[in-house]
Amino acid sequence: MSSASAPISSYPRASLSKRVWSGLRRNALAYALMFPLVFLLVAFLFVPFVSLIYYAMQRTDPGMPDVFVGLKNFEILIREDRFRQNLTATLVYLVGVLAISVPMAYFAALLISSSRKGVGVVRTIFLIPWVLAPVVTALLFRTMLDPQSGPITIALSALFGRPFYLTLTEEGSRLLIILHSAWRSFPLMMLLIAAGITSIPLELYEAAKVDGAGWWHQFRYITLPLTRVPLFSAVLLISVFTIQDAEGVYALTQGGPGYGTEVTGVRLFKEAFLYFNIGFASSIGIALISLSILVMFIYNRILGQGERA
Amino acid sequence: MTTSPSMSRARFIFGWLGILFVIVIIVFPVYWGVRTSLAPNGNLGFFPAELTSEHYEGLFAGGFFRNVQNSLIVSLSTIFFTLPIAVLAGYALARFDFPGKRYSAVLLVLPLLPAIAVLVPLILYMRGLGIYNTLYSVILAGTVFSLPYCTWMIRGFMLSIPREIEEAALIDGCGAFRALFTIAIPLAAPGLISVAIFTLISAWNNYLFSFAFTTKRDLQVVPAALLGFIQAWGTNYGGMNAAAVVAILPPLTFFLIFQKWFVQGILAGSSK
Repeated sequence: MSSASAPISSYPRASLSKRVWSGLRRNALAYALMFPLVFLLVAFLFVPFVSLIYYAMQRTDPGMPDVFVGLKNFEILIREDRFRQNLTATLVYLVGVLAISVPMAYFAALLISSSRKGVGVVRTIFLIPWVLAPVVTALLFRTMLDPQSGPITIALSALFGRPFYLTLTEEGSRLLIILHSAWRSFPLMMLLIAAGITSIPLELYEAAKVDGAGWWHQFRYITLPLTRVPLFSAVLLISVFTIQDAEGVYALTQGGPGYGTEVTGVRLFKEAFLYFNIGFASSIGIALISLSILVMFIYNRILGQGERA
Repeated sequence: MTTSPSMSRARFIFGWLGILFVIVIIVFPVYWGVRTSLAPNGNLGFFPAELTSEHYEGLFAGGFFRNVQNSLIVSLSTIFFTLPIAVLAGYALARFDFPGKRYSAVLLVLPLLPAIAVLVPLILYMRGLGIYNTLYSVILAGTVFSLPYCTWMIRGFMLSIPREIEEAALIDGCGAFRALFTIAIPLAAPGLISVAIFTLISAWNNYLFSFAFTTKRDLQVVPAALLGFIQAWGTNYGGMNAAAVVAILPPLTFFLIFQKWFVQGILAGSSK
């Protein structure tokens, strides 16, 4: 991670302030180059983050002065049925998205890393969902799945002889947001996995063929183990983005029906931007950050264990 | 190839069927959106017999051009501020050793944290700065949130350029700044372009900052305006999809033209 060359300087014994000053001068250029970045990140990410913790401990009613309430907001949150539903919806969403997008991404990665002709064009097409805005793709999915005018719902109704109102049932809406998100997420995963596949030396496959290994065995004992790290990075990225997602879900279902698809991100979105409940929204924000860090932690543990084994 | 010809042929056909299947899954929603934007509402034919531009006319008569303009201003300004700052910092991280450098790994973690959480206090912040309900706040937030990833990618590109060329120039009496502009930046140009395209597409697609910091419709960017249409227009799918097509066109065109650099850049940046 850090660069290969170690600092060559060995500070001479001098007074502390002298050492600090000579060190600063030596590094002045580097600090000057870093300054705009560090300044912006501290001022607009770090300080707001600290004030997020502050606001999470305030009761903020519009038009009234803020009141310090300690951990009360978190207490309310943990006791709340609606927040428990939010967490359940988030978990269902995450598991559903991964269950669909991981196999699809792997399949697509195998397809685009084969040496067939025209694979470059295919890869370009496969990446399209990734460059479209979530609000836009959400609208495309709504259009396709509208109970009256959606081509998919019409086809399903013709096939099963009964109308389909996906957005009116909890299961239907959950399926809808999962399909949409899986469709959006698989291209990035595919790209990372395909890069892993193409970096596997071809000699390994040649040797396996000589030993009489068929297609499945080559996949099972060469491709799959050697793409473990990119696969894991892809899963981590998509998991984190799925847990935090608000816009795709909000544009599709607004969290409904009931609180059926109100994932944590959507709840935060509503509390902050629709109800202007800053204190409470901040505590949900901290919950969301903790959730993201938890996922990164779990991922690190699993990957670390695999490396030791 | 030791497999029998009939076997490899079966795999070949199976592969193309798979590709075709995935292509249909990807292209159909986009095709249907374009179709819906061009057909009269209620016409549900796969290839509609009559086409109309009424949805687009209605859209732009309703002031949608303002939103397109806002999107252009915001995404171009974001890249204008992000790139120089990220180049300077990326260069420092790739070439200098200085106390505190090890904390730069934070840049890798920051993009994984939810922007939406920090946005809550940022609203109050922007009010305090007096730029709430202006495009400045949207540009500022866009720049800050795209900086960590951009800097990290540029650091990676700079690391992949051999130091020796710059060192030779430095020995010949060239200043560090000149070395940056005349040697490192031109050599890292392909990487910089891919970072620029990535930032531009992300900025164009972002609706969150616009939604959080502006309340008037004529200040919103295209995706934020589209979200408003979804809530207000109900089932006017023709109109909404016309707005969606306008939102799709720039990133898609950009991506199709530059996709090779774009993809290489993402992979290079993510593997270091």
